[in-house]
Amino acid sequence: MPCAPPNEQTPCLPTSRETICTHHTTVRATCVLLLCAAACSRTRAPADAPLTVVFRHQPLWADPAAFQTFLARFHGENPGVQVRAETLPNGSDIAREMFVSALEGGADDFDVFAIDVIWAPEFARAGWLADLSAFFPQQGLRAQFLPAAAEAASLEGRTYAVPWFVDVGLLYYRKDLVPRAPRTYAELERFARAAMERQPGVAGFLWQGRQYEGLNCNFFEAGWGHGAPQAPEGKILLTTAAAEAGLRWLRGTLDSGLSPRSVLSSAEEETRRAFQDGRAVFLRNWPYVWAQVQAPGSPVRGKVGFAPLPTATGEPGAGALGGWLLAVNAHAPEARRRAAVRLVSYLTSHAAELELALHYSRLPARRAVYDDPRLREEAPFIAALFPLAATALPRPVTPWYALAGDDIQGELSAAVAGLRSAGEALGRAQRFVDHLEER
Amino acid sequence: MNARRQPLIMVAPAAALLCGVALLPVLAAIWISLHRSILVFQERRFLGLSNYQFLLGDERFWSALATTAWFTAVAVAAELILGLWVALLLQRGGGIFRAAILLPWAIPTAVSARLWAWLFNADYGLLHRLVPGIDWLGSPRAALHAAILVDVWKTTPFVALILLAGLQAIPEEVVKAARVDGARPFRLFLSITLPLLRPAILLALLFRTLDAFRVFDAIYVLTEGGPANSTETLSIYAFKTLMRSGDFGYGSALSVATFACVLVLGLGFLRVLGTRR
Repeated sequence: MPCAPPNEQTPCLPTSRETICTHHTTVRATCVLLLCAAACSRTRAPADAPLTVVFRHQPLWADPAAFQTFLARFHGENPGVQVRAETLPNGSDIAREMFVSALEGGADDFDVFAIDVIWAPEFARAGWLADLSAFFPQQGLRAQFLPAAAEAASLEGRTYAVPWFVDVGLLYYRKDLVPRAPRTYAELERFARAAMERQPGVAGFLWQGRQYEGLNCNFFEAGWGHGAPQAPEGKILLTTAAAEAGLRWLRGTLDSGLSPRSVLSSAEEETRRAFQDGRAVFLRNWPYVWAQVQAPGSPVRGKVGFAPLPTATGEPGAGALGGWLLAVNAHAPEARRRAAVRLVSYLTSHAAELELALHYSRLPARRAVYDDPRLREEAPFIAALFPLAATALPRPVTPWYALAGDDIQGELSAAVAGLRSAGEALGRAQRFVDHLEER
Repeated sequence: MNARRQPLIMVAPAAALLCGVALLPVLAAIWISLHRSILVFQERRFLGLSNYQFLLGDERFWSALATTAWFTAVAVAAELILGLWVALLLQRGGGIFRAAILLPWAIPTAVSARLWAWLFNADYGLLHRLVPGIDWLGSPRAALHAAILVDVWKTTPFVALILLAGLQAIPEEVVKAARVDGARPFRLFLSITLPLLRPAILLALLFRTLDAFRVFDAIYVLTEGGPANSTETLSIYAFKTLMRSGDFGYGSALSVATFACVLVLGLGFLRVLGTRR
């Protein structure tokens, strides 16, 4: 939309009956003017009018002021370009539905938008993302950004998005209950059992077993931990012995009582709360948990440590990569697209990702930001996460993933709930995936 | 001639509206369901009936249909029995109870489902503390019944209200006459109240069955269809296929199948309602 809705520019809101009367004509006149302006700007925009670039993203939480100041600096550096940031609902599925229906309809009322790493290949293949290879060549992208994030932003050797910030699965543990972070699954179980014996009522290991995308993340991590190879690009490979061992291990944590059955209905927040209340020894979750458990008033403040996920062999485990990329709408008109590319490059710059890390605790997608002295000083937790972020692995990078994710979730859920054996569930899920790709 | 045409003219706007908002979308859905249409890949080609052929062999569809049928049968039966009991109590009670009982019905489903999700929570939930043996949302067997409980809690007041209206329409004289003839309360209930309440009961049954068959919001908030798709109803399956997977062809086929089921149910009820009135 080229022009703001009238209510945003109505001079002042009437506060009493008298002002309603006195303002009535003014308001009406303004509306007429705005309507006229809207009509005119549809047909021909004056050459010197500022170009408005619309940026849609999910809420960053915390205080929006810091981000706004940062955008204001972009306006200073780019006179003639206005950025309007529009916030989407928080639920990632809902945001995806909005983008899918808008982009499918050829919407050009937004230019830059934030997409989840798992949608990127799908959106790129659909032709909805502008090809940014000319501005962000593959070589530079892969050199400057974390490998998994760069991978997620690319499809068939072209760049379709630029990593904004990342997320990685990691293990939290109670420093007061266990001697150190466990390196192997066996160690995790041994430490947990010892702590559970000393402190009855405490659960061993919390993870996310509800039927949703988080379960897929837990599954892929357990599979990698048992030695599952990364699937070749463009493929979803579920029926490997290692993946099966990983799924069996997840199910085993419930059978053996290492994990409480509440895990089966838990997403991130349920497990975070239980852990924060001091009711668990170990927790698999994302980095956002750190700020919460270390907040003043948290019962476990100062008692929590974090580490890479354990593996079967004792090597540091790879966490699943989450996070967001910035893309440019392929339907945006040429003039706005150039400004949009400048905005993407500004928002994914070293300074911007540093700012995001300091004010919003988002993990930078750029490698160099982790060495920044300011980050080391003011957000040591984030700086310390570099090795984990650098070795994070993406879920299968294929345009089919979002379509297949739903079927995979159902089968994984059946396996962890004990309805089917791990092998059977994976076999069924693989058949769904193959069927989808063939059809 | 004019007298004959006038009613038609009067009905025309309503008919046109119904056509526009009900019939056309259904026809459009049927048309899409004959295609392979995957939104994100901008793929669209005519397939004929092959989506329906796949549907017939789709285990997930049949399990969703069974889940929906079970949900509908159990929830509606419980709502009718409880609703009748509440209505009988309310017939004697004062206005404040009538208002208070509507509270669950007035709360948006998404909000009450969220509330119940916390009650069911396996770490903190009140229900979990009261009945520690049951893993409400985590076990494939219990989860659907947890959803039924939420639905019953929410819609019993609605049923009670319809039945209360029916109760109040029963003529006083009939009841008095029965009393004079020496009918005891239970006999009175069986021979007078229930038969005369029949239209109201059928109406409540019709509303609730059609509604329960399309259940979406409560289950979506509680479990999203999990664990192991054990709470996946037809609407949830269709929604996931349409909106999450973006498979519009097959998603539309699922929607059309749901529509057909509801249509059959509705026609069946209308038949029963229409014959004895």
